[in-house]
Amino acid sequence: MVLRSGCFGVKLVVPALVAALISASAEAATVEEIANLKGPDRETVLIEGAKREGKVMLYSAMIEDQALRPIIKAFKEKYPFIDAEFWRADTRDLINKALAEARARSVNVDIVEGGGVSQGMIRAGVTQAFSLPILTSYEKDLYDPKGMWAATRLSYFGLAYNTKLVTAGDAPKTYDDLLDPKWKGRLAWAATTETGGAAMFITFIRSWMGDEKGEAWLAKLSQQKIANLSGSPREVVNKVMDGEYAMSLGIFLNHPIISAQKGAPVAPRPLEPVVGNASVMILMKAAPHPHAAMLLMDFLLSRKGQEVIRDADYLPADPGVETPKALDPIIPSKANLQRKFLSEEDIFAARTKSLEIQKKYFQN
Amino acid sequence: MTDAAANAALPLATAQAKFRLPANPLGPILAAIVAVLVLPPLYYIIKTSLYTTEFDGSFGDFTFDNYRELVASDALLRHLFNSVQFAVGSAIIAISLGAALAWTVERTDAPMRQSMLLVSIVSLGVPHVLYTSAWLLILGKSGPVNAALMASGLAASPVVNPNGMGGMILIEGMIWTPLGFLLLSSVFRTSDGSFEEAAMMCGAGVATTFRRITLGLATPALLALFLLVSIRAFEAFDIPALVGSAGGVSVLSTDIFNSIRKDIPSNFGQAGAFAIVLMIVVVALLALHRRLLRNAERFQTITGKGYRPRIVKLGAFRPVATGFMLLCVVVLLVLPIAMIVTTSLLPFYDGVSREMFGRMTTANYGLVAHRASFQSAIVNTLMMGASTATFVCLLTAGSAWLAVRKLSGGWLLDQLTTVPLIFPAIVLSVAFLQIFLNMPFPIYGTLISLVIATTVQYLPYGMRFCSAGALQIHRELEEAASSAGASRMQIFVRVILPLIMPAIATSWLFVLLLSVRAVAMPILLSGPNSQVVAVALFDLWTNGQITELAALGVLWTAFMMAIGLLFYRASRRYGLSVQ
Repeated sequence: MVLRSGCFGVKLVVPALVAALISASAEAATVEEIANLKGPDRETVLIEGAKREGKVMLYSAMIEDQALRPIIKAFKEKYPFIDAEFWRADTRDLINKALAEARARSVNVDIVEGGGVSQGMIRAGVTQAFSLPILTSYEKDLYDPKGMWAATRLSYFGLAYNTKLVTAGDAPKTYDDLLDPKWKGRLAWAATTETGGAAMFITFIRSWMGDEKGEAWLAKLSQQKIANLSGSPREVVNKVMDGEYAMSLGIFLNHPIISAQKGAPVAPRPLEPVVGNASVMILMKAAPHPHAAMLLMDFLLSRKGQEVIRDADYLPADPGVETPKALDPIIPSKANLQRKFLSEEDIFAARTKSLEIQKKYFQN
Repeated sequence: MTDAAANAALPLATAQAKFRLPANPLGPILAAIVAVLVLPPLYYIIKTSLYTTEFDGSFGDFTFDNYRELVASDALLRHLFNSVQFAVGSAIIAISLGAALAWTVERTDAPMRQSMLLVSIVSLGVPHVLYTSAWLLILGKSGPVNAALMASGLAASPVVNPNGMGGMILIEGMIWTPLGFLLLSSVFRTSDGSFEEAAMMCGAGVATTFRRITLGLATPALLALFLLVSIRAFEAFDIPALVGSAGGVSVLSTDIFNSIRKDIPSNFGQAGAFAIVLMIVVVALLALHRRLLRNAERFQTITGKGYRPRIVKLGAFRPVATGFMLLCVVVLLVLPIAMIVTTSLLPFYDGVSREMFGRMTTANYGLVAHRASFQSAIVNTLMMGASTATFVCLLTAGSAWLAVRKLSGGWLLDQLTTVPLIFPAIVLSVAFLQIFLNMPFPIYGTLISLVIATTVQYLPYGMRFCSAGALQIHRELEEAASSAGASRMQIFVRVILPLIMPAIATSWLFVLLLSVRAVAMPILLSGPNSQVVAVALFDLWTNGQITELAALGVLWTAFMMAIGLLFYRASRRYGLSVQ
């Protein structure tokens, strides 16, 4: 009986062991190795691996119907064997969700994309350095020399106003125009986002005017009783469109243009210097589908991917991709406007103090 | 063989004054399961409040700083005051409207009064997030109310702004009105009319009788319900998050949410300290509620003799009463649903106008029907609701019987199943988030984790329904079964269970209805593979996709109203009780 059960055990265990060994050797590559593959067979290895994984998960702050759906659709057309999925939320939610998953050892997400996602995640030690061959054609300040992040799109921030409530001549032309008492109670901004919205506006003012002068200016601005909205800057623009507020600060300047093209009564107003920032993507150290994730990252930065991002009305990070003429008035280089670029590091370093100022002056 | 021994002992046992059942593992097993479910959240929320949070969100060092910071900042007192104001305000609306409706329906001869019950129960099917969005659109600056005011020349610019304390109170009050009505109906229905007749005979007029007798007798119940609604509003998360945040009004429950979701990384310690404060207040209020209920016995009017409630003949006032009921139905249900249906047909929302009729399209419905994430959200929600309701019923049916009969483990089960009452939903959510994040195996973000947490939340509700069912069963049935040699498990399965099945079914439907419409629990616990409808609606609102929200909301509400209808039929037969 002992012998029989032994034989039975061997019959079961040996093939299982062999299978495990084979699959182990096939998937021996760690996320780190996969993320830094080089050489001519890189793409073949990634595609083979991605076929086994069959899935990829992107968490992104891009607007769902405008951007994420077309991006995922184009990606699936190129790699029909990858079931690409996404979850859209604001940056803070994205980060906390990804951090929670990492802590729970139940990571669903491969790539997190958005403005301001990199620093907090790097600090928590959940990101994986990667290298993408395509980055050699990108500007130096659009990717991390250590390989932790790469820019996916650019954003310029400013003012949006409702054209039924405010005339173009009346709308503020400088930052100081914002202090005019006639705007009291008519302004709104996104109070809980990382990119655009209150905190970034405050960081910009402080880094542009200097800490002391900046805070004094912000104290004056707080007299305007700006409405603190909890949604994304996109939603804040919607509230301006439907007349809830006359103007909003810290919005993506391309959003009002997109809505105006559909007939909504809203227009952008860049204020000089125009605040610029790059949204970035990071790779999770515990990414469950690293091969497919690398393909998706490649795709996002490829000419095709950047064109989809452009067609989704974002400003592509790749300078080689043409932007639509309609967006010229808000792109500093084309509209001849002075620009101030805030990097992920700048924003993160100033963050705590800016949030304190926001709390002190702008929370009712 | 043991059975035979038990049989032999039985005549003796039944001869004793105290009826005894043979010992059985049912009680201890249930108690162990319930304890494992309800005690860890308590431990974790206390621990959370006493530790710093590391960069990756894990527990850091032991500290009292979370409390120190709370006491040092002026936010605590201001937000506590906001919470109180919100709770009391919405309870006043819900109870006064609910009482007026309940009296009209139960104690007058106003026409069409019976349909009020149906409307109230059906309205339970509307998710809070959807109901709130509807009112934010109606009262918003570009909504119909402001448009009408401006068109009529009463205002030059939009004057009504729902994003503030006023809007929060109004919407929360309206959400609780149907439940206030349902609970107060039974109060007015079960009071003896002979007291009122006596007063009339002594020469008191209708008004005096109403004030001194009808209202006087109902006062303890009114107070208890008032407190109950206040507690629920005090704990509420969804309305303050959707309505108050945009107007800069914070309450304790939104502070907890913001500490978890809007700080990087989540400030668990801060959330924990806020949570403990919130729970202390809730415990105090619940104790007060319990006292009120105890005193309410002094006002019982139904005794052994027959009774019937007195029906007031309204005469010429009958149309007025019907008009009042119709107005309530329109404002509480028809208006918000009409707003959502309208919005669901628009390509983009920019207020209500004549031009919008030309733009109407069903494109949003197509989008919703084809979105895989919405389809999976609907399936997930139904699975979550149905399994939660099933687990709650499985755990509470036996517990309720043991507790009602004061059998071994009964007292403990009664205590344990009430523990979740002291947890506001958002606090329970944080507690379970911490538990799931600290488990050695991956469970965070799964549907099963959501079911576990929601089951704990609704244990007290299930207990309420099943106890009511078990109380109605006379002991002699069990004694008979016992004499025939049945074990306790057999008695429970073959005698009790079939008899309390109607109560269980009502409880099942009620838990299903409530658990699928709440957002506080899944908003922190659900992951990308366990999205539920309430969270999808919440995300759509915060992402500004109002037209899609409306389309998804219409489809979901239609479906849940059908379930509400089922519940209506069940509750008419077996009664309704809500804690």
